[in-house]
Amino acid sequence: MLSRYVKLYYLFCKQNLKVMLEYRMDFLLGVLSVMLQQFAGIFFVKIVFDHIHALNGWTFYEILFIYGIAATGRSIHHIFFDNLWTLGWQYIRPGKFDRLLIRPINPLFHFIADRLQQDGFGQLFIGIIVISTAMPHLGISWGVLEFFILVVMIIASGFIFVAINLFFATLSFWMVDSLPIVWTIFNLSDFARYPLTIYHKGIRHFLTWIVPYGFTAFYPAAYFIKGSGFERMALLTPVVAIVSCIIAYWFWNRGLKAFTSTGS
Amino acid sequence: MIVVKNLEKHYKIAKRDPGLRGAIKSLFHRKFETKKAVKKINMHINAGEMVGYIGANGAGKSTTIKMLTGILTPTSGEVKVNGIIPYENRQQNASHIGAVFGQRTQLFWDIPVRESYELLKHIYEIPQAQYEETLKEFVEVLHLEPLLGIPVRQLSLGQKMRCELAAAFLHRPKVVYLDEPTIGLDVAVKVRIRAFIKQMNARYGTTVLLTTHDMQDIEEICQRIIIIDDGSVIYDGSIQDIKSQFGDKRVIHFELEDAADSFVLPETLCDITEVLPKSDEEPHLVSLSFSNKHISGAEVIHTMMNHYSVADLTIADAKIETIVEEIYGRGMKKEVQHEEIH
Repeated sequence: MLSRYVKLYYLFCKQNLKVMLEYRMDFLLGVLSVMLQQFAGIFFVKIVFDHIHALNGWTFYEILFIYGIAATGRSIHHIFFDNLWTLGWQYIRPGKFDRLLIRPINPLFHFIADRLQQDGFGQLFIGIIVISTAMPHLGISWGVLEFFILVVMIIASGFIFVAINLFFATLSFWMVDSLPIVWTIFNLSDFARYPLTIYHKGIRHFLTWIVPYGFTAFYPAAYFIKGSGFERMALLTPVVAIVSCIIAYWFWNRGLKAFTSTGS
Repeated sequence: MIVVKNLEKHYKIAKRDPGLRGAIKSLFHRKFETKKAVKKINMHINAGEMVGYIGANGAGKSTTIKMLTGILTPTSGEVKVNGIIPYENRQQNASHIGAVFGQRTQLFWDIPVRESYELLKHIYEIPQAQYEETLKEFVEVLHLEPLLGIPVRQLSLGQKMRCELAAAFLHRPKVVYLDEPTIGLDVAVKVRIRAFIKQMNARYGTTVLLTTHDMQDIEEICQRIIIIDDGSVIYDGSIQDIKSQFGDKRVIHFELEDAADSFVLPETLCDITEVLPKSDEEPHLVSLSFSNKHISGAEVIHTMMNHYSVADLTIADAKIETIVEEIYGRGMKKEVQHEEIH
């Protein structure tokens, strides 16, 4: 069962890659523009830190590290799960979603596998560069275990992005296109690129327990920042990722059921 | 193979008053009305049958097909396809069925046709030997060879439809639903597609449910037709039966010099012919329906020429098309009367 899906995903990916390479210019421009966009954000942080030494107790490299985890986690979502954005206007509205329902494979899998987003690679490059720039300045020694935990944290961060987008994209089953809502929620993730301690308590709780973007960058990064006071919270990251995915998938199935009983 | 019992589907439709005011009003207060798209439909289709499912636009054909494929869950009633309830075991059902939905492609838009088929091979878990054999056969019958290397988005409508059909039959499904497979195609492609469908049925015993507005499709492919109107089945039987039942029916379309509004049926024709509903698009057209048991076509034409100046006329013979036109026409007339009563 699982091996069948792994194989199918590989085959879908291969096709998507071929299409991607066919539009070479698109590929390069997409990657470059996303890199530029990310770079602008970092540049802004740099300018701020040219004037101050620490932001509410956080140093430049710590903030850079948080930023890097956010970018890398987000790139997982951006590269592999980007089709979530298109559920309403590309699948449900034009009736293309029906096609997925008459195939003998899981419709969510089919929907996700239908697209690979090249632009996300720009995000991935920047994320990796930023993380490796910040790593030596955090005052911890990096061993195999630390690297392993870092990778787990980043993957968990990616899946939290996925779960949140999946949850809100699912609303499309009831309202045809939930893109504006998905966008609004997604923009909240910008808050999570800075230490949550600089925000009001209400916002912090919201970003931790309601829409858990805090676990996409700040908490996992805090694990590696000495004396951050959030090392324990950080360990919850994978748990939050799993729980979020379960909730989002449950909600997706509810939406699918509603869709098949009302039609579009 | 397909068993449908008392199948019903109701939609809730938001009703709103016209104009911007109505739109704003509906934002706060919504009225819903229930539309019964499919009402208590029954049908029983055996394995290997090829059935034409016909009806006017909005009669409920697509809704029925969506329920048979498992895309829609019925409001009430029962559906079983090959022993499986499609909307409960959608994926299981999916591996035994194939479908072509009019102009919506089932193929992968950006990749060449051959690679689309390769992906389908894996999705449907078709054994390699069987896949190669089937594909070879399809390429021959549908003349696909020159198309295999082209991305789907670059194909013409006729080319795309040939590729779609091959995709629908590729995994040798037991049932295939064809929702208007010949819409917008030229005659040569239609002929090829019909031949292909017949060949599939003869060779693999594929059950086919076909909806179309092209009666030529029906006459050439199907042994049986089911006519649906306003959500209910109004005819279910063999094409032979319907022909002998309505075979004496004739329809003559008269193109008058004057507007047809002022047309009054000549007295001698009153009891034995019937005026079919006029269309706004052709203000000069009058269509008369009659049985040639009661009056001959020549006589009808003669009488009409005596009373009106006729610019042109066409005689429709007892093709299924004429019969269906007659049945639809009656259905529409019912609707008109209905509105007048209210």
